[in-house]
Amino acid sequence: MTAAPSLVSSGSRANTGGPGHRSWVGYAFVSPAVLLFVVFILGPFVAAIILSFYSWDMLTPSKFHGIGNFTKMFSDPTLYKALSNTFIFAIASVVTHLVGGLLLAVGVNRMTNKALSYFVRTSLFFPFVISWAAVALLWKYVLDPTFGIVTYYLGQIGINSPNWFIDPHWALTAIIGIDWWHTVGFTFIIMLAGLQTVPTELIEAARSDGCNGWQVFWNVTIPLMSPTIFFAGIITFIGAFQIFDPVQIITPNGGPNNSTLTIVMYLYQQGFQAFQVGYASAVSLLVFAIMALVTALQFWLGRKWVHSA
Amino acid sequence: MRPGRLVLGVVLFIVGVLMLAPLVWLIVQSLMPEGDAFSLPPSWIPKPFSLANFKGIDGLIPFWQMALNSVIVAVVSTVGSMAVSVLAAYGFSRLPFRGRDRLFALMLAALMVPGQMTVIPVFILMRNLHMIDTLQALWLPALINVFAIFFFRQYFNTIPRELDEAARIDGASHGWILFRMILPLSGPALAAMSILSFEGSWNNYFGPLIFLSSHNKMTLPIGLVTLQAGQGGSSTVVFAAITAVVVPVLVVFLIFQRAFVASIASAGIRG
Repeated sequence: MTAAPSLVSSGSRANTGGPGHRSWVGYAFVSPAVLLFVVFILGPFVAAIILSFYSWDMLTPSKFHGIGNFTKMFSDPTLYKALSNTFIFAIASVVTHLVGGLLLAVGVNRMTNKALSYFVRTSLFFPFVISWAAVALLWKYVLDPTFGIVTYYLGQIGINSPNWFIDPHWALTAIIGIDWWHTVGFTFIIMLAGLQTVPTELIEAARSDGCNGWQVFWNVTIPLMSPTIFFAGIITFIGAFQIFDPVQIITPNGGPNNSTLTIVMYLYQQGFQAFQVGYASAVSLLVFAIMALVTALQFWLGRKWVHSA
Repeated sequence: MRPGRLVLGVVLFIVGVLMLAPLVWLIVQSLMPEGDAFSLPPSWIPKPFSLANFKGIDGLIPFWQMALNSVIVAVVSTVGSMAVSVLAAYGFSRLPFRGRDRLFALMLAALMVPGQMTVIPVFILMRNLHMIDTLQALWLPALINVFAIFFFRQYFNTIPRELDEAARIDGASHGWILFRMILPLSGPALAAMSILSFEGSWNNYFGPLIFLSSHNKMTLPIGLVTLQAGQGGSSTVVFAAITAVVVPVLVVFLIFQRAFVASIASAGIRG
C-alpha cells in the first residue's frame, strides 16, 4: 500500500534491454492494463476535477459554474456535519481497532492450547469475511430495542439500552461498535503477523533482567511492533474514512439529525439522489485531498516515529 | 498451568463466544417457525425446528438468480483482473520500454484516488455505453487492479532474472517465460490476489447500489438489502436469506482459512 520511490525503480539489477531490444513487446504486455487504467481511473479522475467546476443534473445541459461548488462547500452545514461525523468515526475506529487488535494478538500469541487458539482466531476473523450488507442487516436486529439480544442481555445485568439507531447521541456509537465487530479480526491478523516477527530472545532477555510482563509489553513489544501498529493505524483510518455500506444500510437518510451521515454517504446523496453532479464532484475532490494528506502524513510521521530495526 | 494462563484462556474464550453469538443467534432464528423465533429470553437452539423460512426466500427475491449474478461478476472480475495484472506486472518487471518507470509510478499514485471519486464519471460513461443495469457495469471497471499489478511486480522481482535470461537464450518467448516459468513460481502471490479480488467482488455493495436497478440483475448483497427495505417479508425469512448468504461464505472460509489469512496478512487490504 505504500508507494515509496524505491518501489518504483527496478532495483539494483536494472533490466538492460540494449539498443536492439524491441520495446513494443513491453508496450504490448502493459497495454490492456494501461487502457483500462485510462478509461476507468485516470480519465474519470480528470473528469471529476472538470465536473467540479460545472453545475449539472445529468439531464439538462451542464453549465460552467466557476468555483461556485467550492464556495458552496464552505457554507454547507450538512457537509460540516458529515465531515465531523466521519472524523469522529475514523478516530474512534483507529483507537478501538488498534487497542483491541493488539491486546487480542498479544493474548492469542501467548496461548499454548492449540484448539483454543484456533477457536479464538477463527471466531475473531469470521465476521470479517461476511459482506457488510449481511452484517448491517443482522446488527439492525441484534440491537433492536424489543427483541435484540444486546438489549436483552444488557437489561439482565441492569443496563438500560438506548434506542440505538433512533437516539442521535447513540447512533454513531452503535455504528462504531458494529464496525469493530466486523473488522477487528483484520487488525488482529496484522498485529499477530507483526508480533511473530518480534524476536523471542529479546523478550526472554528482558524477563531475565527482571522486567515484569507489563514492562516487557510496554518497553520491548510495543517499540518493536511500532511499524506494524503504524501501518494498521493508517489502513484503518483510510478504510474508516470511506465508511459507507453499514451507515447507508442501517440509517439510509443519515440517521437522526444526520448523526450518522458520513462524507461518502453525503457524496452519494448529492450525486445519485439529488443529482448535483458538479457539487458531488467537488466533495469527492475534498475526500481525495484528505486521503492524499493522510498518505503524505504517513510518510512524514513514519520516518519520524517508527522504530526501525 | 500457571493461573495467569488460565485467566488468559478463559477471557479469550469468552471474547470468541461473544464474537460468534450474533451469528449463532442469526442461524438459530432462521431455523425456527415464524411464531417461535425472536422470543425472549433468546433461544440458542432451534427448537421447534423448521426449514419453512428458507422456502419463503424465493417468493420475495430471485435468490438463485442473484447468487448466479454474484458468481458471474466475481469470477469474471477475478480471472480477468488477474490476467490483465499478470501481463502488466511482467511488462513492468522484465521488459524495458520508454517511460516504463514513470508510467508505473503514475499508476501507483492512483492508488490514493478513492473509488468514490471516480464513480460519478464512470457512471456517466456506463450510461453512455448503455450498460446501466447490466453485470458488465460491475466487472468491467474491476478488471483494472493497480494493487495487484504492484503486488505481482514486487513478487516477480524476487524471481532471479538469470532464469528467464537463460530461457531467452534458448529461444523461449516472453509468453512462455511468463506462463511456464514465472507463474508456476508465483502460486502464493496469485492465490493471495485472487482470494482478495473474489472476496471484494462478492461482498461489493457500493457498485451494485449505483449500477443495478432490476431485481433479476442484482447480486446477493444488494438483493438482501432490498429484501429488508420493501417486500414485506417476515423477519424470519429475512434471517433465512442472510443465513443462506453467510453460511456458504463461512464454510468456504473454514476450508481455505490458512490461504485466506495469509493473503490478508501479506497484502494488508481491508475490506
